[in-house]
Amino acid sequence: MLDSLMSRRHLLRAGAVSATVSMSGMLGKLAMAAEQSKTKPKRSCILLWMNGGPSTIDLWDLKVGHENGGPYKEVNTTATGLKISEHLPKIAMHGDQLAILRGMTTKEGDHARGTYLMRTGQLPGAAGIQYPSIGSLVSKELGDPKAELPNFLSIAPQRFFAQEAFGPGFLGPVHAPLIVGENQAFNNNTPMNQLDDALKVADLTKPKSVDDASAAVRLDLLREMQEDFAAGRPGQMAKSHAAAYDRAIRLMQSDGAKIFDLTTEKDSIRDKYGRNLFGQGCLLARRLVEKGVPFVEVSLGNWDTHGQNFDQVKGLSGTLDAAWASLMEDLKDRGLLETTTIVWMGEFGRTPKINQGRGRDHYPNAWSTVLAGGGIKGGQAIGKTSADGTTVEERPTTTLDMLATLCMALGIDYEKTNPSNVGRPIRIVDKPCNPIKEVVA
Amino acid sequence: MFACLRLTAVLAALAIPTTVYAGEPAPKADPAEAIAALIDKHISADWAARGIKPATQTDDAEFVRRVYLDMIGRAPKAPESREFIDDTNPNKRAALVDRLLTLPGHAGHFAAVTRAAWLPQTMSNFQLANAGFQFENWLRMRYRDNTPADEVVRRILTVQFTVNAQNPMFRFVQPVGTDPDNATLVGFYQANEARAENLGSSVSRLFVGVRLECAQCHDHPFAKYTREQFWEFAAFFAEMNPLPANSPNLVGPIQPQSDKNRITITNTEKRVVARFFDGSSPDWTAERSPRLELADWLTNPNNTYFSQNAVNRMWAHFFGIGIQDPVDEPGDNNPPSHPLLLEELAKAFVDAKFDNQALIRGITRSQAYQLSSKMTHPSQSDPRRFAKMNLKGLTPAQLFDSMVAATGHREPGFMRQNQFNFNQQPNNPRSVFLNRFASNEKVTEANTTILQALMLMNGQFITDVTSLEKGEVLAAIVDVPGWDTKQRITALFLSTFARNPSPEELEKFTSYVDRGGANNDKKKALADVFWVLLNSPEFLFNH
Repeated sequence: MLDSLMSRRHLLRAGAVSATVSMSGMLGKLAMAAEQSKTKPKRSCILLWMNGGPSTIDLWDLKVGHENGGPYKEVNTTATGLKISEHLPKIAMHGDQLAILRGMTTKEGDHARGTYLMRTGQLPGAAGIQYPSIGSLVSKELGDPKAELPNFLSIAPQRFFAQEAFGPGFLGPVHAPLIVGENQAFNNNTPMNQLDDALKVADLTKPKSVDDASAAVRLDLLREMQEDFAAGRPGQMAKSHAAAYDRAIRLMQSDGAKIFDLTTEKDSIRDKYGRNLFGQGCLLARRLVEKGVPFVEVSLGNWDTHGQNFDQVKGLSGTLDAAWASLMEDLKDRGLLETTTIVWMGEFGRTPKINQGRGRDHYPNAWSTVLAGGGIKGGQAIGKTSADGTTVEERPTTTLDMLATLCMALGIDYEKTNPSNVGRPIRIVDKPCNPIKEVVA
Repeated sequence: MFACLRLTAVLAALAIPTTVYAGEPAPKADPAEAIAALIDKHISADWAARGIKPATQTDDAEFVRRVYLDMIGRAPKAPESREFIDDTNPNKRAALVDRLLTLPGHAGHFAAVTRAAWLPQTMSNFQLANAGFQFENWLRMRYRDNTPADEVVRRILTVQFTVNAQNPMFRFVQPVGTDPDNATLVGFYQANEARAENLGSSVSRLFVGVRLECAQCHDHPFAKYTREQFWEFAAFFAEMNPLPANSPNLVGPIQPQSDKNRITITNTEKRVVARFFDGSSPDWTAERSPRLELADWLTNPNNTYFSQNAVNRMWAHFFGIGIQDPVDEPGDNNPPSHPLLLEELAKAFVDAKFDNQALIRGITRSQAYQLSSKMTHPSQSDPRRFAKMNLKGLTPAQLFDSMVAATGHREPGFMRQNQFNFNQQPNNPRSVFLNRFASNEKVTEANTTILQALMLMNGQFITDVTSLEKGEVLAAIVDVPGWDTKQRITALFLSTFARNPSPEELEKFTSYVDRGGANNDKKKALADVFWVLLNSPEFLFNH
């Protein structure tokens, strides 16, 4: 199996080289398509994670005319009767793809706890069970353990308050996200080449000081050491070591590195997504999904708008609008939107009442999330909040309800269990959950 | 061989009284010997009953690397390994453990692993990180002074503080008085978010050895604990949960502890009074606080929950797996692997006045601890029979400190300070390692990730320490005048694996280097060998 994979890759590389000279990449494309059809999982999921608690009352569930409503107007979307913020005009063009869950009601108004809840479906215990993030759960179900690329990519996460909410928990590091674009102070003035570098996989390229011949010998010698050690010590630890090195080497030798190199995209495409970390992150997400990666998340921060909410949300809406709309458009053009489910959420919503600093504070009681694309019956809003936005009046939706719905859209049996770190099997989505069947296509 | 060592030790001990002047009290028997003997007795009886053929005893090299990693959190440097291997003292293993116990690295390593086990939330939540650092500093002094295990817990449980709950999102614990320990120990409560239910579950898990969390919301599905028992235990910390100002007057006479020992079960109207697991209650008085009552009950020498939990956690530190495992999930469906051993070990620990070092010295002298990790017979495959040493993953700090020891990397002091997972400093190799290798996994089931492999192969740190220009140890080994290639290869093996190469390894690597490696450059070929050894599982695991 590995042999055939290797020879195919060699062929592919040879093809790519000759193609650049003669055939406009035709041979390469064909070979790549052949490879994709064999390894690509049926479904993918892209999570757009809104760090800080997005003001959903100013995005998806406006209260125009009410004193809680703020200055924004609504616009029509391509779905009859479905209206969203005027600052999301491009996303409005994909209204037929959106299912807006306006009945979200959760219990955690703290960043760390809310993040953990929304991303795992569980409350953090002081030192209890280590729950996996939804990305780890989904990629375990949909991913191919032997795939060239990792099954879970996390782009530009801000894990400051709740690192565990981004981790694999009891599923173990095999299901941990491969993270790019983290932990540096990016802003709108960050030069593009810095963003480009940040979105690449760390340490993916061999150091320049080591030539190809030495590198090859090193790997051969290392493999012998691995085998010698494992010979007397059967078990998963030594195996995992060898497997991680194999996958890392495969990633280095494959065209994996090229996927992370966004400079190969046309300028017009890069502009369309927005020349910022989130925009380029969404472009990278599209490229990864094209390669069959089952779970990709892209984070957009700065939603913690305690002061001057409306100026900030307008700016963030622009960033979100360009990137997400472009992502939908490109996925649709490639025939991938049908198999790619997009979920948009943050850790909670924000208070309907506007505070003295024109800001909104944390509010988990009534807010919105959005599902879109593959497996989702778009063009509708499910659930309803009161006229002042403070309570849910129709179809209250918990985190578990939402996660179970997402699983259904992805074709995952959310009642399936995984063994946990406490020796007790735990469901992918715990009870009680009541998925919103009417949004599942 | 092992029995021989033990016999020698016993003979040596027997010989001592003849040199003691009459009239002086005879020296006390070393409790470590008794502990090692009872471990050997129970473990080997179990092997015999199951027809298990244990692995061979470690050679000195395997032992020295293991005991350095377990005791001081890093692998030995080449001279340290060499010195131990060449030492002809028949008692050298016990002597090495005794010496390691006196090193600052021992207190530092044990404080770090204890903090990670007791307050894992401080490793991943930025708001709690400082509480974790402070608590770790306090633990370091306790391990340095070998403070008895019961006293450590008693001091944690009886620290004086007040709780400021004005901000419902973040309760703030403030120490009372000027004792600097108070200011540090409140970190334990702060890290548990100053919530009675969090403290109840933490204290139960850490010091009783019973995970009660599930019973917070419903009766425990697989064990005998009920929801009410959970809240009764949490009620010992009821003072953390301030009552609303307009709380209804309680019916009946005023109780000695007023409301400080009672709590309302969340989402119910039901109020329960603090009670121990065994169903008993303290004789409440006005003078003795609920936490003091809990500390007394918990650390009472007759409380086998406490002593068994303490020895079991220490056992798990050295073997990777507890006698009771998971260490906090006892129950009919999860019995201990060696129940009698657990009982007697706990009793010996109580008899030794909760002396952690006596326990460590005993465990490390046992035959089971000194077995090789290499499997020689299929009957050794069950890790819970301790018939070979289990492979253990390294903590991120163990890995980096071992890297430093092997490569001679010079690390400025400030780069070691207060590192935590999510605050990655790109130019600080330790910070990068701690982030990349952070894991919640069981130590015997540690997995390697792609990003870890990439960093170990291609990262800036590994590139520097395996370069002839920047790698201190490598450059020294390459440049020593008068050595032949075999000596240089041997030195690389000692630096990384704490052992000499096997004849086959020596032959293979020497011939690779003498051929000039891939570039007809012997020095570069030695760098290749160093890189290979540092990336090998033998370096990256504790075995």
